[in-house]
Amino acid sequence: MEKTDTKNRLLVELKQVTKAYAPKKRWFVRSSQPVLALNSIDLGIEHGEVFGLVGQSGSGKTTTGRLLAKLESPTAGEIYFDKTPISQLKGVRLKAYRSRVQMIFQDPYQSLNPHLSIAETVLEPLMVQGIGTRDTRMEKVVHTLDLVGLSPGEAFCHRYPHQLSGGQRQRVAIARAIVLEPQFIVADEPTSMLDATIAIQLFKLLQEIKETFGMTFLFITHNLAAARYMCDRIAVIHEGHIVEVNTAENIIRHPEHPYTKKLIKVQPGFKYGR
Amino acid sequence: MSLLSVENLSIGYQTKKGMLKAVDHIRFDLEEGDSLGFVGESGCGKTTIGMALMGLLPENAEILEGRIRFQGRDLVLLTEPQWRQVRGAKVAMIFQSAMNALNPVFPVDEQIKEAIVTHQPDISDADLSERMKQLFDLVDIPLARMKNYPHEYSGGMKQRAVIAMALACDPALIIADEPTTALDVIVQDQILREIKMVQQKTRTGLIFISHDIAVVASVCERICVMYAGQIVETGTRKEVFKSPRHPYTQTLLGSYLSLDNLKDIKVPDMKESPDQLTDTNECRFSGACPSCDRKCAGRSPEWIEISPTHQAFCCNPGLIRRGHGKN
Repeated sequence: MEKTDTKNRLLVELKQVTKAYAPKKRWFVRSSQPVLALNSIDLGIEHGEVFGLVGQSGSGKTTTGRLLAKLESPTAGEIYFDKTPISQLKGVRLKAYRSRVQMIFQDPYQSLNPHLSIAETVLEPLMVQGIGTRDTRMEKVVHTLDLVGLSPGEAFCHRYPHQLSGGQRQRVAIARAIVLEPQFIVADEPTSMLDATIAIQLFKLLQEIKETFGMTFLFITHNLAAARYMCDRIAVIHEGHIVEVNTAENIIRHPEHPYTKKLIKVQPGFKYGR
Repeated sequence: MSLLSVENLSIGYQTKKGMLKAVDHIRFDLEEGDSLGFVGESGCGKTTIGMALMGLLPENAEILEGRIRFQGRDLVLLTEPQWRQVRGAKVAMIFQSAMNALNPVFPVDEQIKEAIVTHQPDISDADLSERMKQLFDLVDIPLARMKNYPHEYSGGMKQRAVIAMALACDPALIIADEPTTALDVIVQDQILREIKMVQQKTRTGLIFISHDIAVVASVCERICVMYAGQIVETGTRKEVFKSPRHPYTQTLLGSYLSLDNLKDIKVPDMKESPDQLTDTNECRFSGACPSCDRKCAGRSPEWIEISPTHQAFCCNPGLIRRGHGKN
């Protein structure tokens, strides 16, 4: 990849990022080695692209997402967002960063607060960031719900998560993520809990949102077929190392790393009689 | 005579809003050593069928009608003590989350021995340890790991241990309910091979339940596609996946992302599953059906035969026989 001309357009850049989880200290138990979830990874995500991060469980893909959303801090290395190192952000600037980066979690049954109505859930980010007046906020919420396919938005405002299906809940989670119109969204396995017919509709929705707002996505998944459907470029991660980065088509058609080949081989498909 | 033959089975759940028919007039047969897969979305009733075959339906469930003939007996009529003779010994289940299926405070081998001793109380120690060795060999767990506790196993090994437990008494029928859903793709691939290999080696009947059509395709010879409590299409693996006839099967296959069918992905305009509280003969898929026209509404679907092994449940015989021009 020609680094010079893409470098200016990078929205997110990870430089030698390492994340180690130290084991919990316990009495009378000799502490074991820290677990290296990410081992000095380098990654660049361009403006307006959907970047896929693919790997099996425990490979460090969720950790990467959490570091970018600044839910955790790297042990070593630095993450740049719009050329600003995010470890330096404090106070007002950190709060601004949080409005520019949002996350969609895997399990819509756990990521929504059961005590908040749908309107309150989507309203909360606006309140925290102090955007708009009471009326304009509500307008924005209804508009956003319409946008994610929960229409009419008014009808959903006063419902609670338990009254919605899994697919609808995930739409609420998407509405909450986009209501601030962020620049960058981390979607961590957003459809792995859902049926295929619902999942494909959510993919379409995410693509529409990307077109409308011109957002940049990090799409984390273990499903290579989903990554190929959604992403411009894909990085394959294995045991904390990025083993291969390429365009989505090239990763699938011309995998170079043995691990990528293995991953392609085990993807379920309609191969009759293995 | 077939090993298992389910006739006209309906199962309802008593809810606050009334009786919910989770399984509605299901019929299917399973020959000895055959494998049958059930595919459908969450809530379509596939797990309820598995639970009924194990006699493990929850309190509020009721078998409304029908028969489950297994080795010449009707399982619907069994009392709980009779069930205890059948469950585990003749019909065994591989559960969804292996993490919860094993007891964390006992070593794995103890738990599998328990299953054997329960059904064969007078087995000798020598026979028992011989059987244990066979089982662990069959599912590829090193014998040295036999006495470990479940937490010392990886996710894939736990699932293998659960498979060994299901095989412990050499059952004639195994029910696998989403056995790989909690596992990641690489381990899933190993476990699916394992199940298929073991099933072919032991000539056990297999009922495989999953929401993932590709997973079912990789294990089962025959497939039943379910929608809202009914079987809507049944056929061999090749028939169902190569030339699906029911509009729902086509929707399901058309929206499944796999590396080999990226080009013709269709995004369905699917609504929520229909209300299963009202008892109706009308087609349940008509509200979401892409090929449904006005003529369909209010009609009741019937079984349409495409080949002796391939049938679909629809109101529109012409549509089904033509195969929607897609073949």
